[in-house]
Amino acid sequence: MIKYHVVLIFLLISLIGYSQSNINPDISLIGTFNTFTNNIKGTPEYGKINFETPEVELFVDGYLNPYSKAVGNIAYEEGEFSVEELYAEIVRGLPLDMQIKAGKYLVGFGQLNIFHPHAWAFIERPLFHQIFFSPEGFNDIGFNFSFILPTENFYSNFDIGIFRGETFLESEIINSPILFEGRGNSPIVVSRLGTFFPLSDYSNLAIGLDGSYGIYSKALINTLGDSTADLQSNSLTYAYAGIDFKYKFKPDDYTALVIQGEGLLNNRKVARYGEEGINIPIENINTITTYGAFFYVDYLFEKQYSFGAKYDYTYGIIGDEPDYNLLANDDQNTTQGISAWIGYYPVEETLAFRLGVQHLIFNYADGTKRDGETTATLQMIFSLGPHKAHPF
Amino acid sequence: MKKLIFVLILIISSFSFAEINVVTTTTIIYDLVKQVGKDKVKVDYLCRGDQDPHFLEVMPSYMLKLRNADLVFKIGLDLEKWLPQLIDGSRNDKLTLIDLSEGVDKKEVPTKKMDASYGDIHPYGNPHYYLDPSDAKIMIEEIYDALVNESPGDELFFKKNMNDYLSKLDEKINEWNSKMAKVKGKPIVFFHSSWIYFADHYGIRIAGYVEPKPGIPPTPSHNAEIIQLVKKAGIKAIIMENFYDDSAPNQISQITGANVIKVPVGVYGVSGIDSYIQMIDYIVNSIIQNV
Repeated sequence: MIKYHVVLIFLLISLIGYSQSNINPDISLIGTFNTFTNNIKGTPEYGKINFETPEVELFVDGYLNPYSKAVGNIAYEEGEFSVEELYAEIVRGLPLDMQIKAGKYLVGFGQLNIFHPHAWAFIERPLFHQIFFSPEGFNDIGFNFSFILPTENFYSNFDIGIFRGETFLESEIINSPILFEGRGNSPIVVSRLGTFFPLSDYSNLAIGLDGSYGIYSKALINTLGDSTADLQSNSLTYAYAGIDFKYKFKPDDYTALVIQGEGLLNNRKVARYGEEGINIPIENINTITTYGAFFYVDYLFEKQYSFGAKYDYTYGIIGDEPDYNLLANDDQNTTQGISAWIGYYPVEETLAFRLGVQHLIFNYADGTKRDGETTATLQMIFSLGPHKAHPF
Repeated sequence: MKKLIFVLILIISSFSFAEINVVTTTTIIYDLVKQVGKDKVKVDYLCRGDQDPHFLEVMPSYMLKLRNADLVFKIGLDLEKWLPQLIDGSRNDKLTLIDLSEGVDKKEVPTKKMDASYGDIHPYGNPHYYLDPSDAKIMIEEIYDALVNESPGDELFFKKNMNDYLSKLDEKINEWNSKMAKVKGKPIVFFHSSWIYFADHYGIRIAGYVEPKPGIPPTPSHNAEIIQLVKKAGIKAIIMENFYDDSAPNQISQITGANVIKVPVGVYGVSGIDSYIQMIDYIVNSIIQNV
């Protein structure tokens, strides 16, 4: 905790010094405040109006030189400071018009993950992001190499990156009867093929394909079920395949219809118990295939108002603590989510109010009955500082 | 030897027919570049004539347009806040950015510390100078300089085109001046604070704006103030860009009887407006018929 305070103080002092020079970086402060209530019996929040500690993100970005930029994002969430993003990017001047991004940042898997939640149309992170990435999304440390492909009639790009696998470090393996060695120093690979098609002066379509591969853990397993036998080390690999699309119809500056969806197919090796061995259970490596997806529609009208709805489906039970199978290794149980929201944006993106409701439905393979959970959230977001143009 | 001469001629002719790839942020600049560059430039634009140039989504298709461009022209004065993201996305390290506001006598440059409580203020001055035809002449000269710098061999060609266009524009300026003389000194309400250059040129008095502050949506209390103002001063017209919502001006119009005049402020802003001269013609004729 102390080190983050030191980092923040150092950053602020640096900014003050930097702002006295002729070339200032852009500095923005985004604040988010949520008030919510739910119907989850047995929780202290049940039926009450609950005020979350406001969250703050301090963005600093600017050009380092004519060829490269740098971005820093310090976040204060749930009472703690953290470095959300810190990276540099060479944007021009490299062979093949390549762009290189290095540091810590939101990884380009799908179209939604690269945007901070305050820029989304809705309040809650898609359920499959929470299960297969982390509650904070796919945020990792590494290098990304981006290329524009020579397609003449439409825009397409190919990105490939190598990352530390920070996302999987955050999914701690707890309560494990199987021995795990952890991931070790095993980088993961993420790639993306993105395309963009202008359909008319007023409508556009973006479609993407994503992939990620790596080792998420290593298991020391006993395949004989003999307590005297040596344990064998097995790398547990995962492979994600993703598909995403976004359609936007914007007939004028006051109206916009957005239809967006993403899906992820998860194929991975998991360590599981088999039948009883000589004196202990036999441990196996199995391969599972699960998936998750979301789809939403958002309609903006009169520039200041919006409403929308989202449907989510994912393997894994939202809110469960990860056990030795990890949440992403749950190939038995599923969660569905239905959300709806209304938004009010009084003046551009300086201030936003959203009222959203999400209902979760849990399905257990063993027949466990669990009531659905409904949460209603009132959110206020403010943006102080220069406002960047809206990305598609 | 003959072969060598033939190859040399071929090379020279290929140079002389080389096009300059130009992208402009607005359709007004697009038209002016075409007037000077004619067939020696290949020009495209980003913001359509019926779009608000303050706000453009950062779309990959725009990056593709900039990818192979030699020059990109912008209005400047912080109008196109979206342009740096597009230029970065294009990855074009040979692109030259030309800011056409350089030679313009800027108006409404803040003289005190401004913040967002004043609305959407442009810190370097009001960027809507292109609505003053005299400033269009300065833009033309900047465009000429940039094209000559890019292709010095075509200097005479560009110069002739520029002079031809400036002569035509001067004739139209005289015509517009005489037409607009009848509205000189008359008060007009405008929707957004983009008309200071136009109003100063023609001696129009800007009585007020429908927006309470630049870029801030109309409010009932401010509408009531404007209604009182229109009634008291006998204002006959509310002029607005055709991409803004006309609900508030129409409300004011219903109560006061003032005419709401929606005009294009971009080439291709409405059907049949295919040039800067046609656009100013449309604006001038709309005003003199309604004020």
